[in-house]
Amino acid sequence: MALQFLRRWWKIIALVLLLIFPWLFRAPYYHVLGFNILLYALMATSWNIMGGYTGYKSLGHAAFFGFGAYLAAIAANQLGWNPLISAPVLAIVVAIVAMVLGWVMLRTSGSAFVIATIAMLLIFRLTALNLRGITKGAPGLSQPLPPWTPEFSRMPFFYYALVWLIIALWVSAYIRRSRFGLGLVAIRDDEGKAEMVGVNTTLYKVLAFGVSAYFVGLGGGIWSYHASHISPIFAFDIIIGVDMILMTMIGGLGTLWGPVLGAFLLVPTAQYLLFKFGASSFYLVINGLLMILVILFLPKGILPSIEEWLEGRKAPRAAHQGAMSMAEMHGLTDSSLSSDKEGK
Amino acid sequence: MTTSLLRTENFSRRFGGIQAVQECNISVPEGSITGLIGPNGSGKTTLFNLITGVYSPDEGDAYFYDRPITNLSPSQICHQGLSRTFQITRLFWEMNVLENMIVPVRQVGFRALLGPNMFRHEIDRAMDLLERVGLTHLKDERASKLSFGQQKLLEFAAILMAEPTMVLLDEPAGGVNPTMIRFIMDLIRELNQKGVTFLVVEHNMGVVMELCNNVIVLDQGTKIAEGTPDEVQANPAVLDAYLGN
Repeated sequence: MALQFLRRWWKIIALVLLLIFPWLFRAPYYHVLGFNILLYALMATSWNIMGGYTGYKSLGHAAFFGFGAYLAAIAANQLGWNPLISAPVLAIVVAIVAMVLGWVMLRTSGSAFVIATIAMLLIFRLTALNLRGITKGAPGLSQPLPPWTPEFSRMPFFYYALVWLIIALWVSAYIRRSRFGLGLVAIRDDEGKAEMVGVNTTLYKVLAFGVSAYFVGLGGGIWSYHASHISPIFAFDIIIGVDMILMTMIGGLGTLWGPVLGAFLLVPTAQYLLFKFGASSFYLVINGLLMILVILFLPKGILPSIEEWLEGRKAPRAAHQGAMSMAEMHGLTDSSLSSDKEGK
Repeated sequence: MTTSLLRTENFSRRFGGIQAVQECNISVPEGSITGLIGPNGSGKTTLFNLITGVYSPDEGDAYFYDRPITNLSPSQICHQGLSRTFQITRLFWEMNVLENMIVPVRQVGFRALLGPNMFRHEIDRAMDLLERVGLTHLKDERASKLSFGQQKLLEFAAILMAEPTMVLLDEPAGGVNPTMIRFIMDLIRELNQKGVTFLVVEHNMGVVMELCNNVIVLDQGTKIAEGTPDEVQANPAVLDAYLGN
């Protein structure tokens, strides 16, 4: 009964909890933590559209994160655009650039694709470091602080990220249920076969890559305003992309809610470890350890493992039914088989 | 005189030191069930791969309805109405049976792309086909859980969802029990009567002789004989190719 209630209303409950969270925990620290969780949930959801649904695992999505961050910062400085308004628009530029690059990179697959995306990230980072006229090079770029008063602190960022996470989840769910999404899963399963039965695999992959870059670029834009100072080393950090992957894999690769669950588990863990052991990179060791544990014991992630366990309990029956009707088709309806049939 | 639906002109393809297909000219009459036979390594599957755009030929062209299809991508060729099955069954293993049926449905434009993944009328058509091959009750089952024969039937049924005018079958009877072979043959004949042309690679000579009304024999990547099953069987060049001389 309680389980059924939860199954029905959990999304609403979670949303209400998130809405009141900043008012329950008033310290700015919690607002930053909450913002980070939502930001990563947004980006992992986005990465999952390419890495999970389509099966092309990009290790270089931080390139789109940094690109979005720099675009928003430059627009804020030069044109006076507020990043909260400009980021969703500028992310379209990120998506278009991603599609052009993707069109080239997606001619490769498997490990070659992964290497290509890492190379892309490094090129972006080098460009940001060296285009001093625009990016101010290694010292980085500052931009105007948010106009609202300090007592609101980080709250607007929290709600802003929440809105975009909901939109990203809606897009992700929509894609999954569309013909486009079916094509993406077909590509993940057997790309050659998909192409052979009429799926325009190049178009599908490039579009998926664009969508998955869009929300990451947007996340970068929000982050840059939140951080107010950005530099190439942090904006184009490969760890950002790796974290998206890790979250998605822990929660469940290719599932709608997996990336969100992963972000809600991993971001607080990382923050806690940072808090506990200072600003060392110790949390990376834990992340690596988690990755190994997940691959060993939950290779499909938390959500699919639960689903599989539930499915496994009803599988034998379906197999039996299958055998029965094949027998029927071949006219093998002797008494031993048909008597069995009545008893399910 | 029937017109040819599919023809190849001087098709050639080399893999390293092996000339897999060499100046191969074949022509498949519209409305026929044409058999494509030949000893192992004679280039039958390579020819399929060249026609369907998996490989591009070093030389030569393929024509479907007299339109060149040589430079089209496999998906474009499929959209022209030419579908195929594989020697080793290929399905979307993580998907269920119904989804496997829906993927090949032809779709055009962004609106179709962003529509729901399956429309009611598509599901109805898929269910009709599944019923024809006896898989209705398995529609929600994952493709990887089907038996070998069921997978083969599903692959065949799924490509029919694209409403092809011509189907290339790579060993439809390979590794299938005699009852099922009968069933598949009946299905091919039934579809043929509805106007679908077939090009069938098959090692089971009994099936070829009974099913096909036209047989093409390949050896070392090139056509060595063509005719009715009886003519081909009596052709000394064919016997040489199979038995060696």
